[in-house]
Amino acid sequence: MLELIDLTKTYQGRGRTVTALDRLSLQVDAGELVCVVGPSGCGKTTLLRCVAGLLPYEGQVRVAGRPVTGPPEHTAVVFQEYGRSLFPWLTVRQNVELPLKEKGLDRARRTELVTESLEAVGLAGAHDAHPWQLSGGMQQRVAIARAVAYEPSLLLMDEPFAAVDAQTRADLEDLILRLWQRLEMTVLFITHDIDEAVYLGRRVIVLSASPTTVLEDLKIDLPAERDQLTTRSLPRFAELRGHVYAQIQRTKQ
Amino acid sequence: MRVVNALAVPLLLVGVWWLVSGGSFYLPSPGRVAAAFAETWFSERVLTDVLPSLARLAAGYTLAGVIGVGLGVAIGLSSGLRAAAEPVLEFFRAVPPPVLVPLIMLFAGIDNAMKVAVIVSGCVWPILLNTVEGVRAIDEVLADTCKLYGVRLRHLVLRSASPQIMAGLRQALSIGIILMVISEMFASSSGLGFTIVLFQRGFQIAEMWSGIVLLGLIGWGLSLVFRMVEKRVLAWYHRA
Repeated sequence: MLELIDLTKTYQGRGRTVTALDRLSLQVDAGELVCVVGPSGCGKTTLLRCVAGLLPYEGQVRVAGRPVTGPPEHTAVVFQEYGRSLFPWLTVRQNVELPLKEKGLDRARRTELVTESLEAVGLAGAHDAHPWQLSGGMQQRVAIARAVAYEPSLLLMDEPFAAVDAQTRADLEDLILRLWQRLEMTVLFITHDIDEAVYLGRRVIVLSASPTTVLEDLKIDLPAERDQLTTRSLPRFAELRGHVYAQIQRTKQ
Repeated sequence: MRVVNALAVPLLLVGVWWLVSGGSFYLPSPGRVAAAFAETWFSERVLTDVLPSLARLAAGYTLAGVIGVGLGVAIGLSSGLRAAAEPVLEFFRAVPPPVLVPLIMLFAGIDNAMKVAVIVSGCVWPILLNTVEGVRAIDEVLADTCKLYGVRLRHLVLRSASPQIMAGLRQALSIGIILMVISEMFASSSGLGFTIVLFQRGFQIAEMWSGIVLLGLIGWGLSLVFRMVEKRVLAWYHRA
């Protein structure tokens, strides 16, 4: 579904060149939920922006077999900055519907998708609210509903829960798991939170410090059904978390 | 209570005016100005002077809006165009519009076209420069969101820049009223500015004052209308 081969990204500054990504290779199969963690400043967001076709890069990025030159088809993104990714002058319903309109779906289908997706994220009663009338967690739910309504085969998430409180974050993590299991999409989830990565991911990609490359590709052998209480208190969960933590600490030296 | 609050200061000012004016030739009492107002402006002058003035203001203001927003969007979206245009824009904005009146007369004659051109020449700058700023300030995350979901730019640009565009339009409105009057003070045969100068030259002092009062009322009324429109257009921005 997603293939990165020797992905390299360099930024030209004043008289110096910064290599953000250094020949990074990674493969994600269709239907996988893969989390990417790394030390802060390691170019996680750069990686996602290359995949989303928002940044030029060297090397190869392929989504569904096609090289990425601009935003790939059937791909949706949820950003960390929920407040800035929603159109403040549109209502919740209009925010979710606009990409579907641009996609050329007819009215009946749009209504169906909007209703379904808002219900799935628990916002069935908020159709006519404006984003700024909602709490941060609810705004991020709208962004998730918009992404899901778009019926993506690839969902990219860039630290989507970094700016919401801990309880909301747990709810939203479970929401993503439910949606992923129901909708058969591939999810690439970027986070700086090791717990979150281990809890959500079926695989966790640990990135090195800049210039960034893949340090470890770790299979998460926890039971498929995840639960905030039981999963997080498994000895295996603690082991995996400790392992990823140690890896990331090592990169900082 | 609100009505009392709103009326207190105007009533006080009229009272002070009354006291100060006592018999002065150049400063008639509020009563005399009110009488002159009714006599002068509740007449065919509305058709021959007030409406033509307002029509020219409307034409000039609208034209400035279209040009300002159109060019502003183009310049705001293109960094090359911006680098080329910005110093020139700052220069033109710094030229006080009234000094352009004699110049514009040379090109556009002395009829309506000249007066509309004068209004456009002054109103266009705040609209243009604010639009450029508004378009430049479009949120990157929102712009990325549009790219990813294939949402066309037109859904984003004007709405996103509308707070700054409205700020430009508000400044342009007061400039427009000033230029409406000034353009009629030169080589003119009708309009509010022309009439006020005519009264002054004919020593019709109360009538002259009534014209000034009328201009004040027009400016006040237009800004009220503007505020109502702005409240609707920017409801999302003011989070009302």
